[in-house]
Amino acid sequence: MTALVLLVPALPLLAAFAPLAGVRARGLGIAIAAGGVGALACAIAVAVDVGRHGAYSAFSGFLYVDALSTFFTITIALVVTLAGVGSIAFLRTEERRSELDLLQLRLYTIFFALFAGLMLASLETGNLGLLWVLIEASTLASAVLVGLEAKARSLEAAWKYIIISSFGVTMALVATLFLYYAATPLLLSPNQRLTWPALFAHAHLLQHDSLRLAFLLSVIGYGTKVGLAPMHTWLPDAHSEAPSPASAMLSAALLNTGMYAIIRFQAIALPELGRYTNRVLLVFGFASIVIGALFMVRRGNFKRLFAYSSVEHMGIISVALGFGGLLGVYGALLHTLNHAIGKCVLFLTSGELVQRWRTRESRDVSGALTAVPLVGGVLLLGSLAIVGSPPFGLFLSEFTIIRAGFRGSSLLTFLLLALLVIAFIAFVRSTAAMATGEPHAVDEETTARMSPASAIPLVAGMAALLLLGLWIPGGLNELILHSIGAIR
Amino acid sequence: MLAQIESLSAASSSGVLLDLSAVVMLLCAFACLGSKLFDRYVTYYALQSIVLAFAAAVVGHALGQPDLWVLAVATLLIKGIAIPLATRRFLLDRLELHRDVAISTGLSTSLILGAALTAFAFLAIRPATLPHALVASAVVPISTAIILLGGLCMVVRRHTIAQLIGWLILENGVFLGAITLTATFPFIVEAGIFLDLVAAVLIMITFVSGLANRLATASSPELRGLRH
Repeated sequence: MTALVLLVPALPLLAAFAPLAGVRARGLGIAIAAGGVGALACAIAVAVDVGRHGAYSAFSGFLYVDALSTFFTITIALVVTLAGVGSIAFLRTEERRSELDLLQLRLYTIFFALFAGLMLASLETGNLGLLWVLIEASTLASAVLVGLEAKARSLEAAWKYIIISSFGVTMALVATLFLYYAATPLLLSPNQRLTWPALFAHAHLLQHDSLRLAFLLSVIGYGTKVGLAPMHTWLPDAHSEAPSPASAMLSAALLNTGMYAIIRFQAIALPELGRYTNRVLLVFGFASIVIGALFMVRRGNFKRLFAYSSVEHMGIISVALGFGGLLGVYGALLHTLNHAIGKCVLFLTSGELVQRWRTRESRDVSGALTAVPLVGGVLLLGSLAIVGSPPFGLFLSEFTIIRAGFRGSSLLTFLLLALLVIAFIAFVRSTAAMATGEPHAVDEETTARMSPASAIPLVAGMAALLLLGLWIPGGLNELILHSIGAIR
Repeated sequence: MLAQIESLSAASSSGVLLDLSAVVMLLCAFACLGSKLFDRYVTYYALQSIVLAFAAAVVGHALGQPDLWVLAVATLLIKGIAIPLATRRFLLDRLELHRDVAISTGLSTSLILGAALTAFAFLAIRPATLPHALVASAVVPISTAIILLGGLCMVVRRHTIAQLIGWLILENGVFLGAITLTATFPFIVEAGIFLDLVAAVLIMITFVSGLANRLATASSPELRGLRH
């Protein structure tokens, strides 16, 4: 079992050695994709085992997998797989046009692999100190991806990203220290005082003031990674400047890893602090939805549009956790999965658009449906899915969250609904104009045939979203319920 | 363990040394905040790190924790020597940087703000927040103050290198808090934190020098270009 758990982060990491084999873009892309597929298969195997035998722990808690970790591992492994397959086509196009040289292609592979591996590893540790170390390390790996193009703009975005998130993550380290300190009254070994299951079991004995400080700082610190407003300022720049498959990873995987850390901290803080934790999450959540929705109104760079939509969705997840209760947490987890798939598809689509139209401005793109039907279709349907229209998965999860809201405060729920409507109009207004109309500024590069590697993740992702909108598989339902059981 | 930590109370000689190191580190942060020369930033940071290494050694000695000795040596070598050296060679010398002109608030204003933040740290971290009077009483509020001062440096300075130094000072504050609050932190975690710090500095130095190659001055007003 230990070996299987370790394989989940190890397989994507192996792709980092692909450049040693001397392969070119195609081989590098295939290595990344293979790592993702392997990780996904192992993650599902681990989830099945955890579902049967309960949480698994080894190396005195440094390795710890429960249902919640397996849920997030599967989500992120899925994103790595989709983005990995998308990378094959992306790298080949960049190589053919000599936009990136061989060194950059290799750097992309190495840091993509590190990024994926470290993120998956961070989900499989019960030690909150190690969790911090791995999340910070994955931030660093992703910063290299953001600055990969080495143009002034991408370096600026990378700098902004690394300095703001290092600052934020340092706050999370302080939070970890205070949590450790809050556990001083417990008769635990130093190691156990950092280990999540031990802390969770003794949560009601933790020292109140230190715990409160720890929780607040963890929301601010890891919230910087999640992109909760007002700590979201790095996010639109980094998402818009990173290569598109890397943007997909940032938005659909990295943000969720941060949210995972917040969920862990909240689970520890809940018994002692009670509703206070929910209020904190509601405040940050609503701030993010407002910021995300308002900035989406402006038409401009479409990758920034998608990035602000991520801010909005992270806000929705945070609000769902804030509503709390079985229904709220269920909605939050389901929404995490749906958003991850949807945003991954959209960012991969944005990659196609950027490579075909050579622009990131939404007004320069039109008639995508006519020029490249598949890309245009996925853009349109993906947009509808991401703003939460039926029959896609996000409708179901947002509906669950709203139902959870009405059990608590209807006022807040109406506010949430109003904001969702604004986001809907703002988002679809931009993307519909890109998909429909007469194509202009089109050449053979724009209308080139889709390679299978670029079509598969788009179609598979949309199919998954449609499936999740119509029917939640029994295994998934059970996994989410077990995840909730693990933190309550 | 508790008895050991009590040997660090303010009355003992180790406690006095620890308090003293913390105060010197706070002064270094203030000195950095009140300076306008890049070279000075680096010098004060190096000095602060050396004092931090000394503080780690004091705690390691008082508590008989060998891993804190390792941490002290690593702090001295990496934060006290390697990072300042690398910053000087790869950034200050190569980019010929001397005076920092990208400061948004005047020096006196930032010093007053710094003093206010220090007072706030002492008010916020009252002894009541700490379960037992375990540690040298002044260290935790002082390390909080250093964290806030580091943050202030990052806010009032627009130059990327000043922001980098601000972050490093903040990190030193965290470490000072860590060695006293949590002297028994698992070593593997501490080592990981250290490794991350080194990697972060390396990547940041690469970005800053890459940016400087493309822009005449790499300060964050230019970063505004990114806003739409």
